[in-house]
Amino acid sequence: MEHKFEKELRWNDLVEEYQTMLYRIAFSNMRNRADAEDAVQEAFLRYMKDEKPILSKEHEKAWLIRTTIHICMDILKSSWHQKTVGLDESLIAETKNIYLPYQIKDDRTLDAVLKLPMHYRNPIYLFYYEDYSIQEIAGVLNEKEGTIKTRLRRGREEVKKILTEGRP
Amino acid sequence: MGIEEIGVKSKTQIQEYAGRKKAGQSEKFQESLMQNLKSQAEENRTPEAENNVSPGGRAAGINMTGNAARIRVNEAAGREAVQSAEVRNMSYEESDNIEIAVTEGYTLKGKLEGDHVYVEAKYDDGRQEAYCVDTTKVQEQTEYRIEQFALETADGMS
Repeated sequence: MEHKFEKELRWNDLVEEYQTMLYRIAFSNMRNRADAEDAVQEAFLRYMKDEKPILSKEHEKAWLIRTTIHICMDILKSSWHQKTVGLDESLIAETKNIYLPYQIKDDRTLDAVLKLPMHYRNPIYLFYYEDYSIQEIAGVLNEKEGTIKTRLRRGREEVKKILTEGRP
Repeated sequence: MGIEEIGVKSKTQIQEYAGRKKAGQSEKFQESLMQNLKSQAEENRTPEAENNVSPGGRAAGINMTGNAARIRVNEAAGREAVQSAEVRNMSYEESDNIEIAVTEGYTLKGKLEGDHVYVEAKYDDGRQEAYCVDTTKVQEQTEYRIEQFALETADGMS
């Protein structure tokens, strides 16, 4: 059995390694910093409470991403959140808080991606901004690769619409 | 059975076969073939296509006009400055330059390696391609995205 001290060390490493990436994914879903941080914390708490053995690093990462997205979905569906959704105008100001580890040339496209419905937003965000492959996204979101390809293609069309017509 | 009889029988069989064919089948094929030949000929005549043809091979890079602004990957390797390379799955962090083109359906990652730029392209249909671009052979006014991107990467690092 793992010693308590070893467990804490492992958790610290885990938080260190994934917190920024999970925060960005949560932010892309929640579109505000406070809710994104809450979702990530909740995902880590669930991971720590979960005693099931994690098979591999990839499995661990996929579990954390999937759980974060599910938590975001739960928060967004909650009646409290639906009554307190922020104004669209604040989105552009908040987009800078996504803290991507690289410079993006086009903020408008990222804003448009964040306005997409969730079933398009997550595959598009993971594919373009986190550089995941279609196979990895399919694994994380528990979908078929063909479904992800379709969502990427349709999501791209939706982004174009938002950029040209200003509506999703 | 004589030679003439065989000939006659074959002729009859051909006529019968022709009668059994689905109406309009060969006409449709001919029509589409002619249309393809016409459009190919027209494509070769357009000024854009003329500009796209390089002395070392056919056009490469992103089709700059129209809705299908996609990188013509297979043609890219035909250009003198661009060689196909093995995909290494380089991360954004490792890259010197990245381009995220959501509306075009691709991402580009570039890394300056000595006198050439390694470029990795990922498309939303699942394809991944890599190129080695010799920037000394790229014309400054190039219209092709892979070459432009390689130049941007090299300039950004100099």
